[in-house]
Amino acid sequence: MSFRTFILSLSVSFGVAWLAIIIVPYFKMRSLEPVSMGEEESGTNAVYVPKRAGRIADGSQVYAENGCYLCHSQLVRPTYAGNDLFRPDWGGFVYDDERGDSRRETNAYDFAGEDFAHIGVARIGPDLSNLAVRVENNYAKGGSAEKWLYNHLYDPRREPERRLSTCPAFRFLFEEKKITGNPSDEALPFTGKDGEEVIPKPEARALVSYLLSLKKDQPVPASLDFAPAKAEAAASPAPAATPAP
Amino acid sequence: MSTENSNNSTQAVRFRAEIDRSLRHPVMFFMTSGAAWLAVSLILGIISSAKLHAPGFLDGCAWLTYGRVQVAHVNTLIYGWGFQAAFGVIVWMMSRLSRQTCKAAGLILTAGHLWNFGVTVGTLGILFGFSTGMPWLEFPSFAWPVLLLSYFAIVIWSVIQFKVRPEGHVFISQWYLLAAIIWFPWIYLTANLLLHVFPGNPVMAYGICAWYKSSLIFLFFTPVALGTAFYLTPKVTGRPIKSYSLAKLGFWSLAIIMPWAGMQKLAGAPIPYFIPYLGAAATILFFVPAFTAAINILRTAFADMETVNNSPTLRFSIAGVFGLIVMAFAAVFLNLPNSTLPLTQFSLSGYGFEILALYAFFSFVMFGAIYFIVPRVTSREWLSSRLIKMHFFFSLYGIVTIAIMAIFGGLMQGHGQEKWEQPWIEVSLFARPYAWMTTIAWCFILFSNIFFFLHLTFMWLRLGRRSTHPTLLASVHGHSPHGEEGDIDNVGSGTASAH
Repeated sequence: MSFRTFILSLSVSFGVAWLAIIIVPYFKMRSLEPVSMGEEESGTNAVYVPKRAGRIADGSQVYAENGCYLCHSQLVRPTYAGNDLFRPDWGGFVYDDERGDSRRETNAYDFAGEDFAHIGVARIGPDLSNLAVRVENNYAKGGSAEKWLYNHLYDPRREPERRLSTCPAFRFLFEEKKITGNPSDEALPFTGKDGEEVIPKPEARALVSYLLSLKKDQPVPASLDFAPAKAEAAASPAPAATPAP
Repeated sequence: MSTENSNNSTQAVRFRAEIDRSLRHPVMFFMTSGAAWLAVSLILGIISSAKLHAPGFLDGCAWLTYGRVQVAHVNTLIYGWGFQAAFGVIVWMMSRLSRQTCKAAGLILTAGHLWNFGVTVGTLGILFGFSTGMPWLEFPSFAWPVLLLSYFAIVIWSVIQFKVRPEGHVFISQWYLLAAIIWFPWIYLTANLLLHVFPGNPVMAYGICAWYKSSLIFLFFTPVALGTAFYLTPKVTGRPIKSYSLAKLGFWSLAIIMPWAGMQKLAGAPIPYFIPYLGAAATILFFVPAFTAAINILRTAFADMETVNNSPTLRFSIAGVFGLIVMAFAAVFLNLPNSTLPLTQFSLSGYGFEILALYAFFSFVMFGAIYFIVPRVTSREWLSSRLIKMHFFFSLYGIVTIAIMAIFGGLMQGHGQEKWEQPWIEVSLFARPYAWMTTIAWCFILFSNIFFFLHLTFMWLRLGRRSTHPTLLASVHGHSPHGEEGDIDNVGSGTASAH
């Protein structure tokens, strides 16, 4: 085999796969087509606009720089690929007050505003796709979701039920400042030195704002939302949903 | 007639020595700085692994947080150690196989320094919080053009040497090395251009990252290690490779199947449905190129068991080939859709598989190559067979433990993740004992590599033995697999001619 045929065969064997699974899908997915909400199911023919608020770009950068993706995923897989949907509150709620079963799998619009989807490497910690809703409804218990997240980042093992958590403490995202005048509203309930208070740095603010944008509570078009039906058909996991009050 | 023959062979020996001498500095530079990066990576690996079961360890310090140390550990292992070991082996072996002295040693050495500069700045970038967050491409984005440029400046000479070589047989090793030389820039450029220059859909961007990881393993580290094993085994045993057509099958199946692998990490993600399952299928099919190559190499080596036992080179590289076999089994076992794939997609076994590929297979073969090449380029022999044995056994115990712990621990962890009825905290406790064992195993590997590093440094300082008896692992220095006294480059007990 001559050098030229060798190079040519290598290029063809590699190039076919390269085009088929990288180049073509990548450029086809560069601009996603707008999806209609579906007139039959939702009564409106409006275009689905994913809503996401917060400091997504710089928060996502802080998330990346500190390697959060090593332990936390952001992917709720459909039932054919895993049992994520059955976990209470990972993909929505089984008993949502307003919408009944609001669970759904991740769709391509969930990462709006980010350059790189932090789907994650491993799940040493829980999936974060629906973290904001979880914090607001379950963890913060009526308090401020933001404060709960600051406290959690500062010391993940503070609450007795989380004493076994292996999440690193991100104390370096906070600073100790001298109290001048009234104590800051944002001060964490951790005592620094005398006359000092613990306050989140800009990085921590960006990160928390980003984490609070991780929600799955917006109704999505029926064409993207087939998870609960599928889930029930696949395994009938939870007891029959109680009718919404 | 016989005088003519012996004249020819003396000339050949002289010429080989000349090639070795022309490459002394670049090769020794890549190997010693690679080994130094390996030590750095192992220390970082121990720290990060300890944090998985003792989160309070070295806590609260920005550059020592788990998310940075673990990333730095993996990146230094790949770009610091893996690539530099590969460079050393590629430039040396391609020169030898193309029968060309190296005429660009100075340039290669300069490019090597540039590569090290890129890796150093990139690693510091990760530790001080400028990581890109893209698995295995975490170096801040200014690093990739530097690395790519120095890569070209290092390997281009090997391609030129191949082009201008005297007509003749193309060795199996040359296919693998040339292919690796060509595949890597293609993969690296694709990933970096698409991620940094033409941003697209974020999910597909993650997919490209997953493909990059898998391609780096299967289309760079695997062919470099296989090319090396295909060189060392016949060279040290002095027997030709058993089957040329089997080797051909192994090579082309690698080239055709493996570019499709990698995206199985996105099973269930919003990308076209066929891509992840195609990736899983291709990864499972890795057993075809792996087993054909492994069987070929092992059949060649096992014709001469005594040499395999005695020669440090063969002992390491044959252990590496066993690593390849385990890795191929793992590729099948961890990627079965509907059974193990959902369990391994987000568990420790992904890391386990990577370490299996990078250390149990690739690094072991590289150690074998280093034990072969360094005495030739320094014209000194290794100081102590005991140091080599320590290196071998502690590395072996360490890597076997890590492979078992990460892969089975990962499966257990994945099993826990899928049990949605149980609270999440139960799942994270599943992995903890395995994380403990992994930390201990990394300590073993670090311990073993201290011996290696010291030994290599002595050799680099040219403090090796001035002898023509190669250092063997047998207790008696009687029968030498490297050849009789007087020519360390002679072939062994078989009859095939050396190249």
